[in-house]
Amino acid sequence: MTREEIQSKILIVFKEEFEITNPGLDENLTEKYDFDSIDALELLGEIETLLGSELTRDEKKASMDIRTINQICDYIEQLAKKRIS
Amino acid sequence: MEKRVVITASAAITPIGHHKDEVIDSLVNGKSGVKELRDDKLLTDRVASKVFGTVSCPIEFNFERKYRKTMGPVAYYACQVVKEALESSGLDKGFISSGRLGVAFGSTHGSPTVQRDIYKTFFSHSQSKFSSIGAVDYLKSMVHTTAVNITKMFGITGRVISSSTACTTSSQSIGFGYEAVKYGLQDAMICGGADEYDTTTVAVFDNLLACSTDFNDTPHLTPRPFDTKRDGLVVGEGAGALLLEEYEFAKKRGAGIIGEVIGFSCNNNGGDLILPNMNGITETIKLGLQNAKIGPDEVDFVCAHATATKMGDVAEAMAIYKAYGDEPYVTGLKSYMGHTMGSCGVIEAIITLYMMEQGIIAPTLNLDEVDERCSMIRHTKKLRESDIRIAAIQNFAFGGVNTSLLIKKFE
Repeated sequence: MTREEIQSKILIVFKEEFEITNPGLDENLTEKYDFDSIDALELLGEIETLLGSELTRDEKKASMDIRTINQICDYIEQLAKKRIS
Repeated sequence: MEKRVVITASAAITPIGHHKDEVIDSLVNGKSGVKELRDDKLLTDRVASKVFGTVSCPIEFNFERKYRKTMGPVAYYACQVVKEALESSGLDKGFISSGRLGVAFGSTHGSPTVQRDIYKTFFSHSQSKFSSIGAVDYLKSMVHTTAVNITKMFGITGRVISSSTACTTSSQSIGFGYEAVKYGLQDAMICGGADEYDTTTVAVFDNLLACSTDFNDTPHLTPRPFDTKRDGLVVGEGAGALLLEEYEFAKKRGAGIIGEVIGFSCNNNGGDLILPNMNGITETIKLGLQNAKIGPDEVDFVCAHATATKMGDVAEAMAIYKAYGDEPYVTGLKSYMGHTMGSCGVIEAIITLYMMEQGIIAPTLNLDEVDERCSMIRHTKKLRESDIRIAAIQNFAFGGVNTSLLIKKFE
């Protein structure tokens, strides 16, 4: 998956699942869109579906400081690379 | 010091209508809300009872996603009726979030629709280990899902009581809410209950041979409380909310007062968890009268639990006669709607308030021939123009829980 593909898929998830349309890539999702801890947990489920594999406990913990779409894409990119290697 | 507790707003979603006019029209014209059981692709083929108290009116649940995301259907129902009740009450947002308004709300269990989805995940043959249970599934299926979704949606910060005692869920909600206001713990309580379409409940009662099956082809002819041909209860869905306020507080803010709660009792049969118990019911009726500080002759109308089971109706009729004699009119409102489970107490209280306001007493539907074992009480057999000054609403639940609520026309 390329960075562009990840970003495109995440923006679709945000539109369809979280009803957040075209968020700025570096906008703080919590401050701007009330994206809360429940949404974050739902997002992890969506990421598992996207990757086709379960996230480990440590991988989930590593997501806790994520605040923006760009950070989400960085996170998924790293996970995808790890699964290839 | 004990305070007076008045009712200042109500809202209900029932099988015989969503708004007051629709409900009254159904009562006056003898319209039943019992319909053919909807197919759930899971249990409906395996249960003998094919009838259900069905909410068929369109309801626009236009909640924002931030509220919706933690709700199953039962919480949608709950939040909708609370929204309508709070809107009609005129309470300001400052008070709602002041900590002086509490919530007493429940359901038989959390959302069974969501629970079924969780079980499907467990018992499906999918090899997938990820994304199996959603992060919010617990919040939708936990037993206090209605109460806390209400607190979140309306920013309520007062005390939370979430009764979950099957058929006495919402009568307890009103009773416990009444006590919270009566003893000065809160200035107001939003009280009620909800239950969604659920075939698991139908299957449970069906297995106990307690569900109606003889009228599968003519759903409107069942249930038949107190009638010789009654053959069991009909499960239903619905929701209701009542706003209770301390009288001086309500008067000061100029609230419209639609009734007064003057007493409540709750006891347990102390034995069998399923069988109805005449002594237990009689005792809760007497305790309710004591709590209201009134005599049995002051009650004009008894809104009976009357599920239309063979034994339950007889035990209840005997208890009513023992406690009240044969003076008050008795109606079983489940004859119109089926048994809306956790919401039956509040829905029946609201309909009683409607009848108080309209000066009518609706008859028990489908009561063609009174079972002689139930004949000692004064059944409402036809629509009556009659003032109800004090009404008793009684409900009984699996687990041997009994409640009696005494409501007075506001004067």
